[in-house]
Amino acid sequence: MGLSRREFLKRTAALTAASYVGLELPFTLHKEASAADVDKWVRGSCRLCGVGCRLDLGVKNGRGVALRGVPESRTNLGYLCMKGMLFYKVMGHPERLTKPLYREKKDQPFKEISWDEALDIAAKKFAGAVTAYGNDSVAYYGSGQALTEETYIFQKVMRGGLKTNNVEGNPRLCMASAVGGYLTSFGADEPIGSYADIEKAHCFFIIGSNMAEAHPVIFRRLMRRKLDNPDKVKVINVDPRVSPTSRIADMHMQFKPGTDLAILNAMAYVIINEKLYDEKFINDYAVFRMGKEKKQVDFAAYKKFLEDYTPEKAAAICGGNITPEKIRTAAHWFAKSPATMSLWTMGINQRKRGVWANNLIHNLHILTGQLLKPGADSFSLTGQPNACGGVREGGGLCHILPGHRLVKIEKLRNQVEEAWGIPKGRIPPKPGYHTVAMFEAINAGKIKAIWINCTSPAQSLPNADKYRKGMSREDCFIVVTDIFPTKTTELANLVLPTAFHFEKTGVYGCTERRSQLTPKAIDPPKGAKPEVWIVREWALRLAKELNDPVIKQCVAPFIGKEEGYELPKAIWDEYSQKLTKNRDNDLRGATYEVLKSMPDGVQWPAPTEAFAKTGGTVKKFVRGIDPLADKEAKDDKPYQFYGPAHKDRKLWIWLRPYKGPAEAPDAEYPFYLSTGRIIDHWHTTSMTGRIPELMRANPYAYVEVNPADAKRLGIKPGDMVEVESRRGKNVLPAKVYEGPIEGMVFVYWHDMHEDRMINRVTKDAYDPGSKEPEFKICACRIKRVSGPKPLKPYIVT
Amino acid sequence: MPIGGFVVQTEPAATEKVKKELACLQGVEVYASDEKGNIVIVIESNSSDDMEEIVKKITSMEGVFTTGLAYLNAEDEVEKIEKGEYIPNISLGHNKPH
Repeated sequence: MGLSRREFLKRTAALTAASYVGLELPFTLHKEASAADVDKWVRGSCRLCGVGCRLDLGVKNGRGVALRGVPESRTNLGYLCMKGMLFYKVMGHPERLTKPLYREKKDQPFKEISWDEALDIAAKKFAGAVTAYGNDSVAYYGSGQALTEETYIFQKVMRGGLKTNNVEGNPRLCMASAVGGYLTSFGADEPIGSYADIEKAHCFFIIGSNMAEAHPVIFRRLMRRKLDNPDKVKVINVDPRVSPTSRIADMHMQFKPGTDLAILNAMAYVIINEKLYDEKFINDYAVFRMGKEKKQVDFAAYKKFLEDYTPEKAAAICGGNITPEKIRTAAHWFAKSPATMSLWTMGINQRKRGVWANNLIHNLHILTGQLLKPGADSFSLTGQPNACGGVREGGGLCHILPGHRLVKIEKLRNQVEEAWGIPKGRIPPKPGYHTVAMFEAINAGKIKAIWINCTSPAQSLPNADKYRKGMSREDCFIVVTDIFPTKTTELANLVLPTAFHFEKTGVYGCTERRSQLTPKAIDPPKGAKPEVWIVREWALRLAKELNDPVIKQCVAPFIGKEEGYELPKAIWDEYSQKLTKNRDNDLRGATYEVLKSMPDGVQWPAPTEAFAKTGGTVKKFVRGIDPLADKEAKDDKPYQFYGPAHKDRKLWIWLRPYKGPAEAPDAEYPFYLSTGRIIDHWHTTSMTGRIPELMRANPYAYVEVNPADAKRLGIKPGDMVEVESRRGKNVLPAKVYEGPIEGMVFVYWHDMHEDRMINRVTKDAYDPGSKEPEFKICACRIKRVSGPKPLKPYIVT
Repeated sequence: MPIGGFVVQTEPAATEKVKKELACLQGVEVYASDEKGNIVIVIESNSSDDMEEIVKKITSMEGVFTTGLAYLNAEDEVEKIEKGEYIPNISLGHNKPH
């Protein structure tokens, strides 16, 4: 062959990429050669956002060295983004945690201890807190990045073993409002449709999402659809900020932050008053409701309610580029296209009225019948790989048990207790603390021991200083399981090193109800352990400390299992076979064997293995597609809404008034502050100190300022700008450009440096329904403090 | 020296212009393209950080929508990480709520 190693790898790379788009290259590699790049490929999922891209990790000499997409996968169709590079960077990183670290007091240095000592301490501290202060003095705070098996076993030990529902997780901060919206509008959590709708949609309504940067692989699919049908497909982007997503839109609706509820109601006004609605669909499947008591009202009442939202009135509320004509055009495109798909993320969810905003998007789909048919869906994109699968489905929030069961319903608690073989009444009837309440309880000294897994609330909570103060209390024992030091390990007593993705086995459930298995491909660094092993061993010690055999019962089925594969498999078997049986997220067909055989996992409901092997349910509630829609059918209609939350089996159109943000700008704090994520926030490049490079590389957080505001305040690109709210301040370099609307500033929040940690400035007001904080909007003031300054990266060590 | 194979998704009217711009970038080799606006490229860079920079530059070009990764091999960089010759800077993904 005579090819150098590098030339061979380049050809492999080129041929792989060319095969995606059916292009021929003037060379080939014969079969033996094309298998020579790595020792083996192990198929799993990416864990760096919620899309659920499938990829093969290339393993050579026991290390992950290469990546390639899986073209047969129905999530990413083979494409990956640059976030995937983090895998090999993390796996061999010299700063990985590899030894348990302990200190009795938080002002002491950590010392290395053995796993036996660490687990004994964790057990003694939790048992001690329960004995002295009661069961609700302990808590678990988890993550949408934890595997389903991990979330499930943690919450099992907390609820069944320690008799508390103080089980929460960071998905509360990102998708709780989407959950609330789906439950109250459709009667069941999670989207009805799938990514597969993208290739069939004719109108995309993207609101509160910069998917070009945050979900680039899904954005690619959307753009392919648009490019292949430039005249047929319309893209509407609704966002107060100009972003790479808005730049490709046929229409960008830019408005004052927080006023989009008025836009959505005004679109409904147009749909009703210009008779763009689907009368038969509404009559067959929907009812109108309002208020806390969910009172049913009629069409006339809804029509009257919308009189406050004529396009003229809404345009006056919204400002920006919103005109009555724009609202009318958007409503027409939405209603009249053969199939409309809405997509949104945190711009809608992280709001004081996040659930209402979700409801108002769903309203448009119900009114126009833009649901359930191919290409039409109201589709919430998720930020984390397993917020849906592990946390929403696996019982990872304070008010829900595995299998979409509510804690407060006795019958459902009893089902779980029976499945676990523990006494009836063991799971307490009262939901635990939601996230903000949990950290407020720490501030108030009510929580004496908390286990924080795979997340860093010291950085990610809004108004972070307030909660960091509580977390630094000496009377709150904090255990953190993680792979690296973080702002939260800085406040911990006990830090336990864990295995990373592909160093252990487990399932992630992505945005589109799809569960996918990632098997262990390489060993974790010596000393790091998978969480499922840690929890099992901790629970056995807890049982001894508290002399409580029921705690042991919680992990009895898992004793002695090998931790890399057999243990998570046993946990998944219990969860899927016993806890999802006859629930809307029925995963009984999605056994490890089936998941391993699929290029891309299984969409629930998937009650049998035979059905799971087809890929599962592409569209919920549709007879002939969703087996539960057939099984649960109550009449001959093609759509059957069997979701657990709506006893009337109807879709609910909500009368939700426009409400502004919790904190609007005023004379003292005249700017809107919004925050968000960036495509490469997962890693920072090394410091350059030179401003042009700095802006190009985005290694540090910066504040985006509209040019008109910058001019008025004398702020030039790269100047250091103070961003101050009633809660705290940051000093960051300025990026001056037509991104945010005038009167608004925007800060990415990936930076751990104290000066640039924007959650020291954000507000901890939260949605009364979903309890999700309003990260997206608060009031601030800004001022120039100096010219450009070289910055230093901040990494916790 | 990581090596990556990508499909650059462009506006069909801009494909030829983008191809010319890509050919000027160091470490980027254009292999093929089609009428739908897909361009197959291979990037060879000094480090993953550099590759990310190049990808960012490509994605921000006029007429480019996405830069999709199909294949990446970083075997020699992994070796360097292991030997302690290269320490990637990582701000942790899970320091964020979503």
